[in-house]
Amino acid sequence: MGEAITRRDWLAGSAAALMAAGCARPVHGARPETTIVRAPAYDQRLYDIVRRLVDSHRLAVRGRPVVIKPNLVEFEPESAINTHPLLVHAACEAFRALGASQVTIAEGPGHRRDTMDLAEAAGYFQTIPGFEDRFVDLNLDEVTLVDLPRRFSKLKRVYLPNTVLGAALLVSMPKMKTHHWTGATLAMKNLFGVVPGGVYGWPKNVLHWAGIHESVADLYTVFPRQFALVDGIVGMEGNGPIQGVAKPMGVLVAGTDPVAVDATCCRLMRIDPARIGYLRLAAGEPAEFDESNVRQTGEPIAALARPFALLPQFRGLRLESGA
Amino acid sequence: MPTARLLEQQNADGGWPYRRGGSWTEPTVYALLALEGDGDSTAVERGLQWLRAAQRDDGGWQARPGVGESCWVTSLAGLLPAERLGAERHRHAIAWLSATTGLESTTLYRVRQWLMGNQAPPEMAAPGWPWVTGSAAWVSPTSLGILALGRENRLHPAPGLESRIDEGRRFLINRMCKGGGWNHGSTRALGYESSAYPETTGMALAALRGCHGRETDQSLAVALRFLDGCHSADALNWLRLGLAAHARMPAGYTPPPGIAYRTVPEIATCVLADGAVAGKCAFWI
Repeated sequence: MGEAITRRDWLAGSAAALMAAGCARPVHGARPETTIVRAPAYDQRLYDIVRRLVDSHRLAVRGRPVVIKPNLVEFEPESAINTHPLLVHAACEAFRALGASQVTIAEGPGHRRDTMDLAEAAGYFQTIPGFEDRFVDLNLDEVTLVDLPRRFSKLKRVYLPNTVLGAALLVSMPKMKTHHWTGATLAMKNLFGVVPGGVYGWPKNVLHWAGIHESVADLYTVFPRQFALVDGIVGMEGNGPIQGVAKPMGVLVAGTDPVAVDATCCRLMRIDPARIGYLRLAAGEPAEFDESNVRQTGEPIAALARPFALLPQFRGLRLESGA
Repeated sequence: MPTARLLEQQNADGGWPYRRGGSWTEPTVYALLALEGDGDSTAVERGLQWLRAAQRDDGGWQARPGVGESCWVTSLAGLLPAERLGAERHRHAIAWLSATTGLESTTLYRVRQWLMGNQAPPEMAAPGWPWVTGSAAWVSPTSLGILALGRENRLHPAPGLESRIDEGRRFLINRMCKGGGWNHGSTRALGYESSAYPETTGMALAALRGCHGRETDQSLAVALRFLDGCHSADALNWLRLGLAAHARMPAGYTPPPGIAYRTVPEIATCVLADGAVAGKCAFWI
């Protein structure tokens, strides 16, 4: 029988993270590992690539529930806005193969209320068998008020969906994109989608008023067990996260430390992670945005990095040559 | 039968869930609006009891019991007839709505911006309604606020209501996308034009019922274009409501096949849109 995580487990995990943090920056015992793999296209090869990628991180999910959180934003299946459904399905299969008791796909889009129609337009129903039974609309889920373990914004508590609070592992699966407010949107910013629209509205404007970077960092601290798997097969550059231009990169980036994963993605995008506000706030000790503090496995960054076009106000984020 | 589906989904406590689970204010009010006059007075009365018990001391409603803060769903409760909700409860709800604006419209915020040398953009000149207090106003909650106050003003005209409705309508006109229709928020973001959404275009048009002019005409044309390719229940419902509010729903229109009505608000709003197309709608009696 599968070992389901209970609210008590989750609270204990959060408390442990808080104690470890000592209300300060989390201290890394070992350098967090981030893996880059080549993934040239959204095709059947992804199943093997993702399976090996997930296996390599030795995640303890056997008998435990996993929640996969893609980035579903808009009704434009031909664009590079949404996490590709084939990649999400490949991740589902990989976690099933690892023995997860349940693999749920969950998302709470920030702009559009008709989440299931959005998923259908994005190809999720067509690509993922039994999608509707596997999916939870986090905007409309049952909620629990959670104290923020480390507070970066003025928010002290936030309502969060029970589906994600009950996960033994939360898998953030964003698209590799630039963002017109934060510079880049990756695994950490993707967690805005777990905040329930049913409580906070569409968009979740409370987070904007509390400070976008600060709220992203707040949410990161709530979930002590995360895995980030970034869809960089085709990303988005320019005026992301919606109106930008597709950027084929042919990569997946993964790891258990979302700060390190996002920092690696930034380097691939030729963006200086040390200049992304939420990465600076959430960074551990030593800081993941310093490349030497991350154990980089798989493909080297230098071989795959390509500069993402940036809006004029973000040109100062550009990673200097050789940095 | 959509109303039968609504009755099946009523919770034991009298409220309605979005799909399953605990009762929330939004689906409960939409179900009540759709079931009004349906004949099942027991279900409606149980729903009304749930709703009455959930009203907060400040006159508003929270998204669901326990959230602890009145919010945009108060507009929906304000759309219920006062005689059904209770006259005093209804009056209190309308008072809460009348006094609520987006944070960017508050005097304190404006003074702070002035002191910092920031000039408010023109679209912020008129106050709308926020999803939750302490945040900015948006198109959807503003449209619902106008509908609630508009209904009340037709039954009990009052200068204060009239001016608040006018402010809300100016907010919508200011936020119209270039070429017509509405996004959920601003017309532009960082200098880039925002695209119109079908559901918010329909909502805003419903709130602008009785308003005529270039903006409404442009947006009605956008709504008609959206209607042709619509595959979302939420969008279709609101497009029909918005077009019906201006008597512009195409005669003989048949929704595309395969539209799934999954949530209680989608099912209930479909009933309301059917009524609006037939000439009767709880939003603007």
